[in-house]
Amino acid sequence: MTREELFLAVGAGLAVLGAARLLLTRDLLTRVLALNVASGGVLMILVALALRGGGPDGPDPVLHALVLTGIVITVSVTGFAIGLVRRIEGDLTEGGRR
Amino acid sequence: MSAAPVTILDALLVGGLLAAAGLTLFVPRRSTAVVMFLVFGVLLAIAWTRLGAPDVALAEAAIGAGVTSALLIDAVYERSRRPERATGHHRQVLAVVGAVLAAVLAVGLALVLVDIGPFTSPGPGAADLVADRLDESGVSHPVTAVLLNFRSYDTLLEIAVLLVAVLAALALQPDATLRGVPAPTRTPDLLGLLVRVLAPVLVVVAGWLLVAGSVAPGGAFQAGAVLAGGLLLMRLGGWPGAVPASDLLRPTLAVGLTGFLTLAYLTAALGAGWLDLGAAWAGEAILALEALLTVSIAMTLAALFVANQDPPTPPVGVSSPERTR
Amino acid sequence: MNDTLGALVLLPLGGAVLAALLPRHGPWVGIVTAAATLALALTTAAAVYRSGPRHLELAGWGAPLGIDLRADGLSAAMLALTAVVGVATTVYATGSDAASGRPLFWPLWLALWSGLNAVYVSGDLFNTYVALELVGLSAVALVALGGRDAYPPALRYLFVAVLGSLAYLLGVALVYAEAGTLDIVEAGERLDGATTAVTALTATALAVMALGLALKTALFPLHAWLPQAHAAAPSAVSAILSALVVKASLFVLVRVWFVVFGGAATPGAAQLLGILGTVAVVWGAVLALRQPRLKPIVAYSTVAQVGYLFLLFPLATPGLGEAAGTTAAQAAYAGWTGALGLALAHGLAKAAMFMAAGTLALAHGSDRLTDLRGAATRMPMSTLTFGLAGASLAGLPPTFGFVGKWQLLQASLISGQWWWLPVLLVGGLLTAAYTVRVLGATVNPPDAELAPLAPVPRRMEWAALSMAALAVMLGVSSSGLLGLLGVGAPVGGGP
Repeated sequence: MTREELFLAVGAGLAVLGAARLLLTRDLLTRVLALNVASGGVLMILVALALRGGGPDGPDPVLHALVLTGIVITVSVTGFAIGLVRRIEGDLTEGGRR
Repeated sequence: MSAAPVTILDALLVGGLLAAAGLTLFVPRRSTAVVMFLVFGVLLAIAWTRLGAPDVALAEAAIGAGVTSALLIDAVYERSRRPERATGHHRQVLAVVGAVLAAVLAVGLALVLVDIGPFTSPGPGAADLVADRLDESGVSHPVTAVLLNFRSYDTLLEIAVLLVAVLAALALQPDATLRGVPAPTRTPDLLGLLVRVLAPVLVVVAGWLLVAGSVAPGGAFQAGAVLAGGLLLMRLGGWPGAVPASDLLRPTLAVGLTGFLTLAYLTAALGAGWLDLGAAWAGEAILALEALLTVSIAMTLAALFVANQDPPTPPVGVSSPERTR
Repeated sequence: MNDTLGALVLLPLGGAVLAALLPRHGPWVGIVTAAATLALALTTAAAVYRSGPRHLELAGWGAPLGIDLRADGLSAAMLALTAVVGVATTVYATGSDAASGRPLFWPLWLALWSGLNAVYVSGDLFNTYVALELVGLSAVALVALGGRDAYPPALRYLFVAVLGSLAYLLGVALVYAEAGTLDIVEAGERLDGATTAVTALTATALAVMALGLALKTALFPLHAWLPQAHAAAPSAVSAILSALVVKASLFVLVRVWFVVFGGAATPGAAQLLGILGTVAVVWGAVLALRQPRLKPIVAYSTVAQVGYLFLLFPLATPGLGEAAGTTAAQAAYAGWTGALGLALAHGLAKAAMFMAAGTLALAHGSDRLTDLRGAATRMPMSTLTFGLAGASLAGLPPTFGFVGKWQLLQASLISGQWWWLPVLLVGGLLTAAYTVRVLGATVNPPDAELAPLAPVPRRMEWAALSMAALAVMLGVSSSGLLGLLGVGAPVGGGP
């Protein structure tokens, strides 16, 4: 097994693990974490593929650029999602009953 | 290059990643989960360097592990108890079925992926084209060339996504500004001293990352994330103006997208075509644009952090229950 | 001329920045931007109709190094639909803060519009991902403008939207690994030219992309998030979400299915999508019939109507690559224009319905059906709007909805897929049933004493009625629009 194969497989595992946890838990913060794990898995697949598709000058820079874009999009989404989680849970605790 | 065997380090790294991900998702205490996520982010950054992606590693360390963890830690600091409800029988069944299904899917996907050979596309791959035309892009670092010249339109839309995210977070505050968020009280002296030393260092590092991006790994996103850390530290260290609360806030948030759009409009109006920088002044245009982007990205990430703070409960006569702290 | 493709994205985005910087002038920035974008969209549609698909290389590189923008007939029709509905909802939103959310409605809505246009003109798989994220995030932010009660459905929508995008992104990576390009047309050519017919890789790529996009389009059984989010949003936002946003991910699925994976899309998988669509038609309508409130009725109606659009896949897939004039190509062409024409009709009618629901709720202070008594006589315009929109959704002649369904009927008959006929019929009856139920609730009982109505700006009712009128009248002269949908279509034997 080569290094790329190892990381491709682990990326697949992380992506599915994160997606499954996101769908199966009700805890909102865990869902945010699961989304980030899933995103890390998908991006790992892209980075490992970049090694596969690279030339003599190194890995494929296009895929690296796509991953950078993906990281920034994920943090934007996460920032807003955490804001919503905090408001929702703030309502739950401050509102007293339920 | 493309047939590196698995080393012990890889195996340890992968084991650590899986363990950190598992703990992040399944440990009952939120604070532990978030710390495990931080570890996961750091390990990811190491994985990216192992996979020959230093740009991604820098971004992951600064944004994925750094900013995201800061947002998460801030969220659980306030409410460490998980409001998890009791799980019923059918939910447990669902969890087991889901776990089995997920395992099958993961193995299937992994098998398909591992089966991919070296790219044998029936045409010129994009990677070769980047190498061929790098000279015309105005920068010598290929990832920066892709992000800010070859595929600059992607980056423009991505900056729009960032602006939408921070506006969305601002909309959760009562008057869509940060005015309602109380400024942090002055920190203890020792921490204050640390903050005062660390913040300028971060600003300098950000500047270096920005300039380095045209020839080496680095660029506006990594620099922006580091600068965001500097801004938040300044805010903590007793200078709340580092993240403007209202009047200056939106202009600084929007300056990156405004600059990018202006560049697009200008290139179209001057007849070159949308976002066509031309070889002559592409390098200068990219550096100027990146400087604006760094400011906006830094302010966006910092403002996301501040906007997520709970607004004060309205001062009604009734005393609100004491906050968990 | 081709420069309008860039302007369609970057002009509304400039409007969004301006609206963010000038919060007090949001409505004016919105109206000016909307008018200019409408002009751009109609110009582009006319150009595509007259002289075929448009193409623009961005940043002077050209695909596959750079990103190309493309607009064929389908793109042009979606751009035009977005612009027409966009102008109406913009006018509608100036009428009341309650209908739009707070001042941040303007930058978020213009950013969303820019993202929708970006999806429709994108010629690149990854660029489509970024555009979809712009659409998704601004749509969620707009839902959250509905206030504290809207936060939980908004968050759920966010998780769904991002998970769907991640699945799509995974598929993009796999396509890139196989084809070595991110350009949609080029990837299609290279995958088609590959010697092996369907590899495990292409099948996996198509499966994850279809799954992610079906989730974002709320195809049964992945629909549960939609009614909550669409009902909780301010009514101008509901109109935008139901009429426009669900179409964006469907559009991408159509592109991916027919252009990128033209050779790998099997009839079996297409039938599966059709069957899920059928269940959605029935299930969405049944749930719509059981809702006590107006906005959830309209939201469940979207789940049902989206189901029809998925009949595109079984009806058009068998005709891929068939020469013009053959029976298979004719059936596929009828299925293509029928399902996508129905998407346009649904966009107009659903915008009208949600806007009318909004004015009714605003005036009555509630959208419970039991509180709407007397609306038929006291707000005849809004009630008429709802009725006309319902008639088009149900597919009654001579509405635009009827034209779409007639084409689907033709496609089913020509291709021998008779089993879709009852779907078309039953779905229409169920749609008529929930429309009549709402109209019945607005009738004034003779002896009842009615609470006074809150005032509603006239232009809000006009905006809603104009969409309903279009949904009806376009049925009378639909040949131009159907012809536009056929320009550059992958089926029917055209170029």
